[in-house]
Amino acid sequence: MDILTSYSFIIVAFGTVILAIASGVVGTVSVLKGQSLIGDAIGHATFPGVVIAFMIFGMMETSVLVIGAVIFGVLAFWFINKITSESKISLDSALALILSSFFGLGMVLKSYVQGNSNFSGTQGIDDFIFGQAAYMLRSDVYIIIAAALISLLIFTIFYHQLRIYIFDEAYSRTIGINKNLMNTLVLLMTIALISVGLKAVGAILIVNILIVPAVIGSLWSNRFLNVLVIAGISGGVSAFIGTFVSTAFTGIPTGPAIILSLSILLILSLVVAPKGLGSKIIQSKKRGANI
Amino acid sequence: MIEVFAVLLITALATSLLGVFLVLKGQAMTTDAISHTILLGIVLAFFITNDLRSPLLIIGATIIGLLTVYLIELISNSKLVKADASIGIVFTALFAIAVILVSRYADDVHLDIDVVLMGQVLFAPLNRIDILGFSLPYALVHLSIILLINIIFVLLCYKELKVTSFDPIFAAVSGFSATLIYYILMSLVSITAVTAFDTVGSILVISFFTAPAMTAYLVSKRLSRMIWLTLIIAAFNSIAGGIFGYFTDTSISGSVATVSFITFILVFMIQKFTLSHRKPVN
Repeated sequence: MDILTSYSFIIVAFGTVILAIASGVVGTVSVLKGQSLIGDAIGHATFPGVVIAFMIFGMMETSVLVIGAVIFGVLAFWFINKITSESKISLDSALALILSSFFGLGMVLKSYVQGNSNFSGTQGIDDFIFGQAAYMLRSDVYIIIAAALISLLIFTIFYHQLRIYIFDEAYSRTIGINKNLMNTLVLLMTIALISVGLKAVGAILIVNILIVPAVIGSLWSNRFLNVLVIAGISGGVSAFIGTFVSTAFTGIPTGPAIILSLSILLILSLVVAPKGLGSKIIQSKKRGANI
Repeated sequence: MIEVFAVLLITALATSLLGVFLVLKGQAMTTDAISHTILLGIVLAFFITNDLRSPLLIIGATIIGLLTVYLIELISNSKLVKADASIGIVFTALFAIAVILVSRYADDVHLDIDVVLMGQVLFAPLNRIDILGFSLPYALVHLSIILLINIIFVLLCYKELKVTSFDPIFAAVSGFSATLIYYILMSLVSITAVTAFDTVGSILVISFFTAPAMTAYLVSKRLSRMIWLTLIIAAFNSIAGGIFGYFTDTSISGSVATVSFITFILVFMIQKFTLSHRKPVN
């Protein structure tokens, strides 16, 4: 049990758990709105932002790189919105285009920076693709805590508006809820969490911690508040287990380990949760017996 | 150098041809999922053969590609999870397993991050194969065969592809097996993706699949026209991007993806401009 008290484990676990709790809560909105994969596109699209921020400021400071990531996250969403609203291109295609093009741009910039002797200390860039939680610093965790707290605070303030907006958009308009404001808020919270989470989970897999907790929550309950609480808890628990496993065994990266624990939790929920497959089978058997 | 561009061009043609139907069917993100998860197939097959050139890698990747499609369908058909969320769930889980396997057990082999993400088209001419007395790059031969298979598939199943893309309900009524066509298409997507994997990497191949078809889709109303335009745009993107990457000494597949995006945005803007300046018809 030495691991549980080691300094680096506490730092990393603290960061990932708080990140996963906030992502679980905020991600629920996109999942219930049927926009889960926007997080995937934005996650990939933040990558060139990280490299450009590094090129401009010449340092691997997370606080600087996060700004680049946020700007490119917003830019990516702007393009997705523009393309889908002003042409016959579907959301599905637009996401694939933005995801791959932005990531491609990131790759061009990365190869430029790494082949150029004017830039030093460029190895750290790779950490943002797959995540490298083991290298997380105390300052990285502070940034995660700040983003998570601000997101959760905004979420709490706008809780009632968000709830009505998610479940009944037409009604929400009649009682004067600003649709654009809700969209912008959700988007900014999502982009902020993705950007601060890059170093922990990586650009490719970050979408998982935004989607899966919400799906688990929605399998266990129909009530919005319960879904949020279950999503937050399952995110947090998986982050803790994943971080523990990756610290205890060599060669297991933290991000993928967290995602694997979330996936196992999801499979269990799919089978045993009240809205899962198990209860469906039991119900259909009961119905069969009645007939 | 010519050989590098030839490999890029053939890759672009083979992928974008299938991309036409992926864009029309709204399956671009399913392809994204496949292109990530085939890494798991490659890793597993590699553990069995210990040879990165083994044909078993293609078989392994294709099986995992189909498994990905099947799992996504299974989860979203259960009505427990929305379709887009199930894509996100399945690909991240399988990709995470692959990353763990690579970093825990295969850290010393050449399956490193940059190859997975960017491919290495520059090295393509180094692996050669003799055919009829000619020494050709292995990747070129490989991809040409895939291109040929894809062309034959589109020619043979043109009518079925057309009907299932534009009118799935009519297709079902008139007895086409939309599911069969879909699974054949997705098998070819997996095979093409894993063959192109070495050359352009697992994420940028999405751009090769979708960007040319999306650009063509903006300006075409007929399927045949869309296919021709797609192939022309794919050829242009791959050569222009290839030249840029080659001479600036940056990631070639990344450059192709960037150029493809610029092409799309230009066509998008020109089309918007001409539409808004067209005289209203009474």
